[in-house]
Amino acid sequence: MDRQSITLTVNGRNFEFAAEPRKLLSDALREDCGLTGTHVGCEHGVCGACTVLVDGQPVRACLTFAIQMEGHEISTIESVGGHGALSPLQQALHETHGLQCGFCTPGIVMTFEAFLRANPDPSEEEIREALSGNLCRCTGYQNIVAAIRLAAARIRESA
Amino acid sequence: MSEAFRHIGSHAPRKEDERLLTGRGCYIDDIAVPGVLHATFVRSPHAHARIRSIDTGPALEVPGVVAVFTGPDLAAWTTRHRMAPPIDGLQPVEMDTIPVAKVRFQGDPVACVVATDRYVAEDAAELVQVEYEVLPAVTSMWQALDPASPLVDETLPANLLSHQHAAHGDVAAQMRQAHRVVESEFSQQRQTHLPIETRGCIGVWDEGRQHLTFHVGTQVPHPYRTALAARLRLAESQVTVISPDVGGGFGQKIALYREELAVAAIARHLKRPVRWREDRLENLLASSQAREDFVRTRAAVDAQGRVLALELEIVEDFGAYSFYPGNYLARVVAMILTGPYRIRHYRYDVKVLLSNKVGNGPMRAPMSITSWVMEGTLDAIARELALDPVAVRRINMVGAADLPYTMATGEVLADITPRETLEAALAAVGYEAFRARQRAAREQGVYLGLGVCTVVESTTYGSKFYKSAGIPGSGHEAAWVRIEPSGVVNASCGLGATGQGYETALSNAVAEGLGVAPDGVRIQLGHTDVAPYGMGSRGARGGTAGGGTLYLCAQEARAKVLAIAAARLGLADPGELRMIDGRIERRAGGQWQDGGLTLADVARTAYLDPLALPPGMAPGLEFHLTYEPPPMTYSNSTHACEVRLDPATGALRIERYLVAEDCGTVLSPVVVEGQQHGAIAMGLSGALFEHVEYDQQGQNLSGTLADYLVATACELPRIEVISMHTPNRATPAGVKGMAEGGVMGALGAVANAVNDALAPFGVAATRHPLTPMSLRELLRGRRPGVAPGPAAAEASRPATIE
Repeated sequence: MDRQSITLTVNGRNFEFAAEPRKLLSDALREDCGLTGTHVGCEHGVCGACTVLVDGQPVRACLTFAIQMEGHEISTIESVGGHGALSPLQQALHETHGLQCGFCTPGIVMTFEAFLRANPDPSEEEIREALSGNLCRCTGYQNIVAAIRLAAARIRESA
Repeated sequence: MSEAFRHIGSHAPRKEDERLLTGRGCYIDDIAVPGVLHATFVRSPHAHARIRSIDTGPALEVPGVVAVFTGPDLAAWTTRHRMAPPIDGLQPVEMDTIPVAKVRFQGDPVACVVATDRYVAEDAAELVQVEYEVLPAVTSMWQALDPASPLVDETLPANLLSHQHAAHGDVAAQMRQAHRVVESEFSQQRQTHLPIETRGCIGVWDEGRQHLTFHVGTQVPHPYRTALAARLRLAESQVTVISPDVGGGFGQKIALYREELAVAAIARHLKRPVRWREDRLENLLASSQAREDFVRTRAAVDAQGRVLALELEIVEDFGAYSFYPGNYLARVVAMILTGPYRIRHYRYDVKVLLSNKVGNGPMRAPMSITSWVMEGTLDAIARELALDPVAVRRINMVGAADLPYTMATGEVLADITPRETLEAALAAVGYEAFRARQRAAREQGVYLGLGVCTVVESTTYGSKFYKSAGIPGSGHEAAWVRIEPSGVVNASCGLGATGQGYETALSNAVAEGLGVAPDGVRIQLGHTDVAPYGMGSRGARGGTAGGGTLYLCAQEARAKVLAIAAARLGLADPGELRMIDGRIERRAGGQWQDGGLTLADVARTAYLDPLALPPGMAPGLEFHLTYEPPPMTYSNSTHACEVRLDPATGALRIERYLVAEDCGTVLSPVVVEGQQHGAIAMGLSGALFEHVEYDQQGQNLSGTLADYLVATACELPRIEVISMHTPNRATPAGVKGMAEGGVMGALGAVANAVNDALAPFGVAATRHPLTPMSLRELLRGRRPGVAPGPAAAEASRPATIE
């Protein structure tokens, strides 16, 4: 298959590279943009580890072709926190022990950065419903739910 | 928790988190290797077939394909795997690196395509033409038991891989004299570990140095290196294994898999780096699977429900290959089955069979079924004798006065508290109030059930246990502690982290033993040239073997630090000195005062001014220690689960879940709570949903995550934890270890709760997963009787065959 020039806007930066049209967004982010924080757990859209934001909405990067994303704004885990300043959600996950192996964590952070913007005061049931799109094999989810509630409360307080 | 500890038991959050939260962790696929080639495997579509021929020609023509290798290539570059420990009743077996003559399960690799790009490699893999002669497949343990069944391994006389039995006491006499003999059955379905990061590896061969660097997520870096070097016919000094951040293991990342060995051999052959990452389909079709056993117990009881004797029969479907000795998993169940109960007369029979499925391996709680079987047996006794299930537990359970208690199998229980956890769980649940609520609900047509399951978890397997269980291996661990010239501390042991939080928990152990703050300790794991040769992470040995060895090693370091400090302060001996958070303190007149020295001062002396050391003392502050733990350490817990069953649909809802757990001294309560939640989640998910299903032709029907169901945030309950901390007096700092008991307890608690809810219908579930379909099947044609209490009338004896 022929390679084409593709330009992606990721975390506010343009990346231009040559790739086949069939190249997945998840692979392009990791290999062509060098952003390896987006993890690939199933490559069939169930586990949620590869979740990124496209124009602010959570999307499975493993079910999306990179070439389709030209002209869209993509945000990955690398745009959240870092440099000593965790986001309120990341900070809450740290304090409540909401991660263990960390492989699913970037997908959960991206899902709920968007979720909390749309739902600043979610119930536990709403959180669990939204979280059911991300598989975590380590934590049993309880501390992730606690972290999301804590983050929501802190964001509301600081608003 | 003892108040004598300053850092052990610290509630500080984890050191690992920041890099993982910000996408800056480094897992296998994140390691960039210039010029690396990508491997992909061609896999058998058949469960059992002879390989007639393989045509790699069309695949080799694809641009970007570098090579295609098959079984004979790998046979030339590697040795076969031989599993033949001298164990009674265990058949010796061998396997190829890539099958040459015959495939034994759907997904067995037959060729490896190497290309410049993963997409190209996968394209080309589809063009490899394999001609098979399909053979009849063995797809159930019952079929495997039939002497007329096809042979999975044609070098063996039958599919019976391992058969072991033992008798303690006079079971037959007790059975004859018993008030009643109660028979129970338990069927556990095939499952898989499902780490969210699949397997993967990178082989880098240095032709100049004749050295292989192998990046792989592994729980056991050194034993892995030993196996990898031997099978490549390299010296162990020619192989370095590096395990980066690992996205979960749960037992799936212990063995040296054939794909990994093939990648290493190909990298060496091509003299070019090669990487492979398993996709999820391969993970579900070809990575280690687990469980799938059938268990029957027969309990001789008196009229009060006292167990006079117990018989256990286990049949395990082990799959096609022996990556582990066949007796490894089921034998432990038989050894520890009776757990906290006084049962003097006991015999067991364990059969392990080969079938045309993926080979079994240990999965978080390889002995997972143990507590379900024991506690389910006690519930069956209660039902049969119309007794309260809690009363049956109380009458049989060992108490403090019985300890140390030697089980019929010779295993010794010490420093455990099963009565305390049982009573704590019952009190928290409000047992009597629940029974009243349950009766009232039944009158409204609402079916509640409460399941109780007490667990005695075998945590740290010492060399002596391995030997007495007929399992090859050592239980010791190794550690080093280095205080660098600046006074910072590096430390290491042989564990392989897969997300537990070792950097946090082990820092606490080192900090405590040495007398520094945990922040000043850096834990270096997962690199065989850096870490000492240890046995890695399996079972629940991390706390006792890893943490315990580091604690002892750090204490040795502290002794030298204080000796140097004493010399610097002009004291004859260090008896009146201690170190708190890196500062030397001196006792004068019964009061501790600042001694005016820090660890950094002492370290500078040790490294840079050795003439100032006490006479005869060697320079430097480097310490190495190995430690052999007791034959076995045990933690204990009691799980309680309340469910609501909708008999019309078979739907189950977990209304409440709690565990009272005593795992001794805890290095990091944060990490331990995470392990409790995670283990219980895995147990509940297994009991309710997960199922690797093969059809009668041996086709795996669970190749995607839409087919292999795991519990999500919506299905799992909030878990209440009651923590207890009775130290083990035989281990460093009183650590016991934990991490698997949650699986054991969850399986038993939810199963017992379901049967409690089902009691009015006179049926009992004996088979996992407890799906709505399976529960509806049990309930079909049944109406609730009048049986009001926890112990349904004798007429409600469970149907033992569903």
